[in-house]
Amino acid sequence: MSVATAKPLGQSARVLSYAGALLETMDAALAQHPSVFIMGQGVDDFKGIFGSTTGLAEKYGAARVFDVPLMEEGMTGIAIGSALVGDYPITTHIRADFSFLAMNQIINLAAKYSYMFGGLMRCPMLIRIVVGRSWGQGAQHSQSPQATFAHYPGLTVVMPSSSQAILDMYPAIINRHPGPVISIEHRLLYNLEFTVSPAAQRVPLTTYVARRGNDVTVVATSVMVLEALRAAQYAEDKAGVSAEIIDLNSISHPDWEVVAASVRKTGRLVIADTSWLEYGVAAEVCRQLMVRDTRLLNQPPTMLGMAPAPCPTAKSLEDIYYPSQHETVDAILTQVKGRDHGIDLPVERSMTEGYKRFRGPF
Amino acid sequence: MKDEAIYRRLFRTALLIRLVEERVIELYPSDKIQSPVHLSIGQEAVAVGVCDALGPDDLVFATYRSHGFYIAKGGRLDAMFAELYGRTGGVSGGKAGSMHLAAPEVGLMGSSAVVASTIPHAVGAALSFKRHGSSRIAVAVFGDGATEEGVYHESLNFAQLMKLPILFLCEDNGLAVHSHRPVRQAYRLTQHAEAYGIPGRRLEQGWDMLAVREATLEAAARVRAGAPFVLEIATSRYKEHVGVGDDFHFNYRTRDSVEAWKRHDPLIVEASLAAALRPELEREIEAAVAFAEASSAPGRPELLTDVI
Repeated sequence: MSVATAKPLGQSARVLSYAGALLETMDAALAQHPSVFIMGQGVDDFKGIFGSTTGLAEKYGAARVFDVPLMEEGMTGIAIGSALVGDYPITTHIRADFSFLAMNQIINLAAKYSYMFGGLMRCPMLIRIVVGRSWGQGAQHSQSPQATFAHYPGLTVVMPSSSQAILDMYPAIINRHPGPVISIEHRLLYNLEFTVSPAAQRVPLTTYVARRGNDVTVVATSVMVLEALRAAQYAEDKAGVSAEIIDLNSISHPDWEVVAASVRKTGRLVIADTSWLEYGVAAEVCRQLMVRDTRLLNQPPTMLGMAPAPCPTAKSLEDIYYPSQHETVDAILTQVKGRDHGIDLPVERSMTEGYKRFRGPF
Repeated sequence: MKDEAIYRRLFRTALLIRLVEERVIELYPSDKIQSPVHLSIGQEAVAVGVCDALGPDDLVFATYRSHGFYIAKGGRLDAMFAELYGRTGGVSGGKAGSMHLAAPEVGLMGSSAVVASTIPHAVGAALSFKRHGSSRIAVAVFGDGATEEGVYHESLNFAQLMKLPILFLCEDNGLAVHSHRPVRQAYRLTQHAEAYGIPGRRLEQGWDMLAVREATLEAAARVRAGAPFVLEIATSRYKEHVGVGDDFHFNYRTRDSVEAWKRHDPLIVEASLAAALRPELEREIEAAVAFAEASSAPGRPELLTDVI
């Protein structure tokens, strides 16, 4: 079965995998703009960045879609240089961890060029980085650096959690965004299929309410949005708890009023992020709420993220390293009904069981 | 004679750069220029000879020591002084200062304080030129220390793999802050480039503006024909690494090493030509300083503009 799949579903809606949405937006960008080109390790090979660039080199030629030497900093600097003269580069890192080799160019150069030169220089570009999880990714194939990048003014950081988010955001980024954008894609999402509507249904580069609810607010990022949605459904089915799920989506420039309005309504908060809690998205969500109104929360929030250690490889450790469906449901129920809620939790302790089609090695 | 006209043009620009930086030295104690300055006094012939050999559309990507390249490429002098002053009339509204001069309208595509970091930008511009069938070339300007950084090697490799129209231009003043090249480099630059299949040349007479110009013309012609080239030009930094003073009293280098270079320096040797040109250039500089003095300081309305 092809990784990138699209199935028709009525007139407007259809089923499209995350990888398929990526491939469609990459294809459309290349078709629409001669200035666009894609470079990265393996973008033109048979795996095509997990199906997100497959066939594009054949379709658009080696001048538009090409492999590069192993040179993350060089590649990123080259992308900046081409952007400075009017091209639109898209670069890829098959693991986010490799983008750390490009940190100098991303943080010292790309993030600074617009401001440092008083608007004289612009380097609009898209850096696609993929977060790995499960099947023994280990310490250096699993990091999720949204907090790191979003810390630096000048960078726009997004974490699309669905095919729809990609269809809505990527064309807007490539067509209109004036600066460098880092999109943190999640490997677990690539093979999942989503129902999508025609593109530009929503305002891109902002924060969405993914599910309406009244009892507790769950602010989530990337694959944790799906985990939160599954947990919310369980909590509603088992306990009649109504959880509101907010997909932060834009990490560097979220719509904090959407978050604050939800918490003002529910008074309860769970934060579910793909990375560490310390100095991260969870901390920033709390800061944003606290500076608005210290009385927004009725009780302390619950936070779900990676355990405060590098990621272990052993499956038995990995399963308890990440927040499970069990813990996500427990967090929602505990917020609403207290620690002794007494409601049966799902037995699924390993996230991979919820992603049956995800199989290593890859 | 044609060469004489070219020589006077080069000499005039080189003298302008020196007088501008000498004015910076005079102004510095007043604290009107509140940022680090890295003076190119002694190195002017490189910037002048190189830029004169380039076409107006060719692009230069430079370093924190780029007053010379800014002026030689044709950047506005008044906007430069206003930039050093941190004023709204500055080329970047005061947000850049001395270390980040840019003048994209004349092809100076930014300068960075992180060593070697603009080298791949020049490669990227050259990639775009090639992709779009342009006859323009890109020039990466860097010091000898920059060649020790990994991204320099990445840039050479990619440029040669893709046969990009890029000139790698090394200003070899032999110093990385206070460290001499022999304790830093296990390679000779042109031999190293040759290992990538990139031809190169070292010019010892970096004080000779015409020789620099000729070497650049030859290199640029080869680059424009579609292949990278490494041009290494020996030069001499008279002043301290950062700041406006001399640094011989720290004894990491000898005064003699600079004095030997000065005996070739045309801006010193040809005192009468310099004296003849000086009044006109000083009037130009005074006008630029007056522009900076009159320019307003940026404030809260500018603090958060152009972040994204």
